[in-house]
Amino acid sequence: MTVQLKGRIDSSNAARMEQELLQQVNGQSEVVLDAAELAYISSAGLRVILRIRKDHPTLRIVNVNADVYEILDMTGFTDMMSVEKAYRVVSVEGCEEIGHGANGTIYRIDRDNVVKVYNNPEALEDIQHEREVAKLALILGIPTAISYDVVKVGDSYGSVFELLNASSFAEILAKEPEKLDWCVAEYVKMLRLIHDTPVPAGKLPDVKETAMSWVTYLQNYLPQSAWDKLVSLVEAVPHDDHMIHGDYHTKNLELQNGEVLLIDMDTLAVGNPIFELASMYNSFVGFYEIDHDAIKQFQGYDWETGRSFWRKSLAAYLDTQCQAKIKEVEDKARVLGYSRLLRRAIRLGGLDDEKKRAEIELWRSELLELLEKTDTLMFDRNELELEAVKENLDDVIAFLEERLAGTNCTPKALMQINLAVEEIFVNIASYAYRPETGKATVRFEVSEEPVTVTITFLDHGVPYDPLARQDPDVTLPAEERDIGGLGIFLTKQIMDDVSYEYCRGQNILRIKKTV
Amino acid sequence: MLNINKTVENNTAAVSLEGRLDTVTAPELEKALMELIPDLTELKLDFTDLDYISSAGLRVLLAAQKAMNKQGSMTLTHVNEAVMEILEVTGFTDILTIR
Repeated sequence: MTVQLKGRIDSSNAARMEQELLQQVNGQSEVVLDAAELAYISSAGLRVILRIRKDHPTLRIVNVNADVYEILDMTGFTDMMSVEKAYRVVSVEGCEEIGHGANGTIYRIDRDNVVKVYNNPEALEDIQHEREVAKLALILGIPTAISYDVVKVGDSYGSVFELLNASSFAEILAKEPEKLDWCVAEYVKMLRLIHDTPVPAGKLPDVKETAMSWVTYLQNYLPQSAWDKLVSLVEAVPHDDHMIHGDYHTKNLELQNGEVLLIDMDTLAVGNPIFELASMYNSFVGFYEIDHDAIKQFQGYDWETGRSFWRKSLAAYLDTQCQAKIKEVEDKARVLGYSRLLRRAIRLGGLDDEKKRAEIELWRSELLELLEKTDTLMFDRNELELEAVKENLDDVIAFLEERLAGTNCTPKALMQINLAVEEIFVNIASYAYRPETGKATVRFEVSEEPVTVTITFLDHGVPYDPLARQDPDVTLPAEERDIGGLGIFLTKQIMDDVSYEYCRGQNILRIKKTV
Repeated sequence: MLNINKTVENNTAAVSLEGRLDTVTAPELEKALMELIPDLTELKLDFTDLDYISSAGLRVLLAAQKAMNKQGSMTLTHVNEAVMEILEVTGFTDILTIR
């Protein structure tokens, strides 16, 4: 039963109140005190509450105003029993909508404040969750805004944030397109900060589990073999305890007085960055692949800007201008991105809608094509994974030259490394998968003192140790010379070390050069 | 990228190479030389602007040398240091005529 408390409860009326209240709640099992109209409570009044609680250990107090809450908080009552604050009522009528996410809509209520109104009317738990994760992120060093108040907006709840004179990156891009490169740089700086932040175990959900739910859902919508592969690709992504934002697009990054703030923290999780890149791809490109104009409605800028922002951000994040590297990681992101888009569209009844069906068909066919050629969702800034064909040699060289540029390598050493890489990559392209083709991975590593570059080539082709082959006799006259074996011989001559091993189904060839 | 400039006079061809002689470009040189060689007694290769050579390029040089040994001579001129080193470690300096 709910009992209303009114006016003031202090030593002048406490005894009478106690008698009245005890009479009312006598024999009731669930007792709730509604403090909506309670203006003040003194220690005499608090003793009344304790007396009631003695008979009713599950006693709750609700709708407590700020003044009374402070008293209850200071006296330790909030730790002792369930005390719920009264929520300030806020109207968003006529307010500017500044953001729209999966769980709610953000409005500016005045110059300094915004309110995030949750879609779900039972959102108190979500709000609590978002506040907690935002606090956690702040403690871990991520600049973010934390809500200072929970309010009632119509039938829903909202959380209020102070956001002084701030603009989202989406607004900046729409109004000042010349700031694209600046936005990309800041956006990527924050992205790296998020992904470099380790999170104590158990504090945030694992994004891999969420991703498993996307792909599991698709079982009836993909051919069995493709679905099996999709599931195994996600399963093979190792656990990662670094932070993921989960909805990282240009409306969730705010510029406030020169400071960049991350907002909309409710999707915060831990996991491999590929899951983040997948959701970024969707936010800037995937969602709009058929309806290019729709991005305007969400981000305020056009399709070309969205695509360009995505591509530039990915390049900066991977620290490369090598198109093959960017494409490699983009394709991995698309596998997960399309899986998510498909599940979402199908769940929302998209198969019954002509326009949505066209999108579903596009995403599905792209996903199937990608699955054919994807062996892993993992990526590394210092690795390039690509089809082992001679035509891709230029991409390998371009990628490595970019990495070598940071080593102050002499032109001669650069040429020698270039030559060794050509010999080995062409060897893999010619023989590893013959007559089929397959993937090769080229990994770049550098160690200091003296600066030594190690380049590792990995392929899943037939086991073959090129170093086991006898060196050609370089003293023979032209007529007796064989044309084979020169490449590996040359590589051994110009590198400081060349080694081979076959391990876990992979040919691993490593070359080293002190530069 | 490899630019191949040819001038043929009677039975003598002068071919100058500019750029890289690698896996991608070696087949282009091979095609150009194999077209010329049947009519030649002298083949002069100018390497002034050749920056790079890999084993694919060496194979083309070896095949050309073998062909020219039967009908005349082949010479390389203006080989830069980087390319020369590759020719040396593979023993090509012994089988090619380098001026």
